[in-house]
Amino acid sequence: MKIVVAIKQVPERDAQIHVAADGKWIDERDLNYAINEPDAYALEEALQLKEKNGGEVVVVCAGPERVTSTLREALAKGADRAIHIEADDLGERDTLGVAQILADAVKTESPDLILTGLQSDDLGLGQTGVVLAELLGVPHATIIMQVEVVDGDLKVKRELEDGWFQYVQMPLPALLTIQSGGNKLRYATLMGIKKAKTKETKTVTPSTAAGAQAITLERVYLPEKQKKTEMLTGTPAEVATKLVEKLKFEVRVI
Amino acid sequence: MVAGSFVAVVEPRYAGSILLSGLSVSASLAEPDRFSWSETALFAVLVLASAGLFFWRFGPILRTIVRSKKDADFSLQPIGRRVWDFVWEVLCQTKVIKQRPLPGLAHAFVFWGFLAFALVSLNHLATGIRVGFLPPASYVGNFYFLFAATWALLVAVSIFGLFVRRFFVRPIWLGKKISYESGFIAFLIFLLMVTYLAAFFVNGGGPAVKALWWTHTLALLVFLPLIPHTKHLHLVLSPLTVFLKRDGFSKIPPLAGDEDFGLVTGKDVTQLISLQTYSCVECGRCTEHCPASTTGKVLNPKEIILGMRSYLNEFGPASDMSLLTEGRVTSPDNPPAKYLSMEAAFECTTCGSCEYQCPVGIQHVPIIVGLRRGATNTGVWEDTYGTKLFLALEKNGNALGLSAIERDKFIQKQGFPIFDGTQEYCLWLGCMGGYDPKGREIIADFARVMNHLGTTFGVLKKEKCTGDPARRLGNDLVFQTMAEFGLKALETAKVQKIVAICPHCVRTISNDWREYGIAPEIEHHSEFMARHKDRLPKQASGESIVYHDPCYLGRYQDVYEEPREIVAQAGTLVEAPRSHERSFCCGAGGGLAFLGEESGERVSHVRASELAKTGAQVVGTACPFCNTMFRDALSAVSTAPPQLLDIAQLTARALPETQEMSQ
Repeated sequence: MKIVVAIKQVPERDAQIHVAADGKWIDERDLNYAINEPDAYALEEALQLKEKNGGEVVVVCAGPERVTSTLREALAKGADRAIHIEADDLGERDTLGVAQILADAVKTESPDLILTGLQSDDLGLGQTGVVLAELLGVPHATIIMQVEVVDGDLKVKRELEDGWFQYVQMPLPALLTIQSGGNKLRYATLMGIKKAKTKETKTVTPSTAAGAQAITLERVYLPEKQKKTEMLTGTPAEVATKLVEKLKFEVRVI
Repeated sequence: MVAGSFVAVVEPRYAGSILLSGLSVSASLAEPDRFSWSETALFAVLVLASAGLFFWRFGPILRTIVRSKKDADFSLQPIGRRVWDFVWEVLCQTKVIKQRPLPGLAHAFVFWGFLAFALVSLNHLATGIRVGFLPPASYVGNFYFLFAATWALLVAVSIFGLFVRRFFVRPIWLGKKISYESGFIAFLIFLLMVTYLAAFFVNGGGPAVKALWWTHTLALLVFLPLIPHTKHLHLVLSPLTVFLKRDGFSKIPPLAGDEDFGLVTGKDVTQLISLQTYSCVECGRCTEHCPASTTGKVLNPKEIILGMRSYLNEFGPASDMSLLTEGRVTSPDNPPAKYLSMEAAFECTTCGSCEYQCPVGIQHVPIIVGLRRGATNTGVWEDTYGTKLFLALEKNGNALGLSAIERDKFIQKQGFPIFDGTQEYCLWLGCMGGYDPKGREIIADFARVMNHLGTTFGVLKKEKCTGDPARRLGNDLVFQTMAEFGLKALETAKVQKIVAICPHCVRTISNDWREYGIAPEIEHHSEFMARHKDRLPKQASGESIVYHDPCYLGRYQDVYEEPREIVAQAGTLVEAPRSHERSFCCGAGGGLAFLGEESGERVSHVRASELAKTGAQVVGTACPFCNTMFRDALSAVSTAPPQLLDIAQLTARALPETQEMSQ
């Protein structure tokens, strides 16, 4: 079974984020990057599927030169090959734009299964995988906790809300977006890093420039803290009445 | 006593000769005056058979050792240290005696007796082919044989004592199984001595002297082939092992080349390891002092060494069979090896007690860490906690898995200046000092001490773990990443001197990092404070404080007195039952602080109750890991637990309040 894992490189979890001077994106200087966490789980799922069913795991990542470090890490953890889509204009592309260049690269591989994380730690849109499936013309399932290959089909466990799960049987080829925490991640090993040096990383360039996008990013800003305190006065009974009113009609929580 | 009773039996028969010889010259050794050609021929055949049998058994062992992988980092330097160890540990038998005085002394007498006997035995065998070179009647001969006789007496008494210990006292460390072969060898040694001594009491030329000569000869020739396959091989190998052992305590050798991941298969076993495993005398001192073995874990350092030996005996040093029993790589085509268990290898706290105790120069910790490297560097070791620790180090750069921002906030709150080259010291916080609540208290108090002394210091803007837990758990990738980051950070900040509260940080930075570069000079805060102790307050409370020696400060770095000086300033120093080099581990070392619940009894509880039982009012520590282990353990083992304070806290509590951080 050939599995392609689409991964993204994002700023490290504890990085101190500053908005860039033009207010359109974050200041990328002095930032350390790491693999997007749900993508790490997608990679782990792929590696475990390969260990059980055999086959090949190919990782694909779009971005500038720095993303090759994340690809190398994926190779070190056990992926067989890597594809680097060289793109410096990722910030200018919307979900469709990113999914487009990923789809172009994935198509040439014609995989049986495509895995991605369910969303990215930086933008958190949760759309790329779904749009990618549409572009590739394969069925998809999202928020996957478990994957099993049964007689050439997939049996997956989806996480629903409120502690509910859904089991879905679906044909291959397919695309799944993987939820964090379904598996235990493995640690990178010295042997893995040494082996990764001998593995192939193919570099491709997108056929089209970003161009006009359906969605444009207007402004990036840090969450603005707002603190409004209003003092209610009167006897305890009056204060209680006013409070209930406010909770009912203003805040609408009761 | 034993020789005496022998004399009592012999006396009536040879009374006359004793009297005569006693009157004429002095007691001298009787030798047969002539051998028939048939006797000489028989003797020659027996000598050749004995030597042949010896080499038939010793040859394969020697080949195994020689054919093992070369130690890439081996160097005979420092030769002075090697010669000194040889003289001190082998010739003077200091380690053998110091750690087990009575049996140690008995062993030393046997050993020195053997040395004295070398010339005697050589001459004895030479007389068999009529080329004896030391006539008993000559002045030299007369003197030397009497000298050797004194030793013979001591050896006979000693070996009898050791025999009684092994077969009747039976300390458990010698193993549950009685080794009858050891008993037989003790008998042979006893026989050698008795036959030698008896020859002083018989007339030359008689049949009695012939009989004694032949008995002595046969005992010698039977003894020789028994050496190679028993623990008595240490007679031949251990002097060499002590001389050749790797320089430095618990020195973990650098990996050699791209194919080296540690001890994975027989092919990775190096010559030094081979030599060391065959030198094991099975005395069990390592086990006796091991915090894992004595608290009911699988790990037994002696069995690790003997397991390695059994592996080499069965599969040889060219085998592709994995050394450890469990793990992902085993399959029907690749069955697990049977001698060394992964569980055992990962129960070691790397306290180094085994290595310190070993009288024959075996270095257990590098072997155990080597096995861990083999399992971790190849991804075979799967452990939820271990993986969590490695991922935390990869991602957050600290062993506690907290965001680096937490350290920034702490530095800001304390008002610690960032090191900018103008300060004298770089204060290394470490994971405990930077992130752990108790560790932070220690750091804050030590900073107060430094301020009180007027010593300038700063902290690194960004600091990651030294990689100590990864190093000891065999993850060279994480360790290298951490070491390189640290070296670069210190170099960029132009740090000249570092001081740290954690012995693990000090050891790792000063010693283990050398694989990737030279770090600035670093010292432990106990050394720093001891140097300035005259300017630190003396506390007259008389409070009793029991000091616990951290493994990584004591055995690893030979720092025993400095922390005691600090403790003595703060109160009355009380010694724990096991202290200094024999200190018992807290259970945290070797990355084990971060692994899950231990099997058997908790190491920390054993040590904590030992410390609590001293009745001291305070337990004084010098390592934040020991501190964190005892925090829970003391309240678990004692209803009114003693106070627990680091030496920095013991000192800072007496500082005037005005010395609070001025920033």
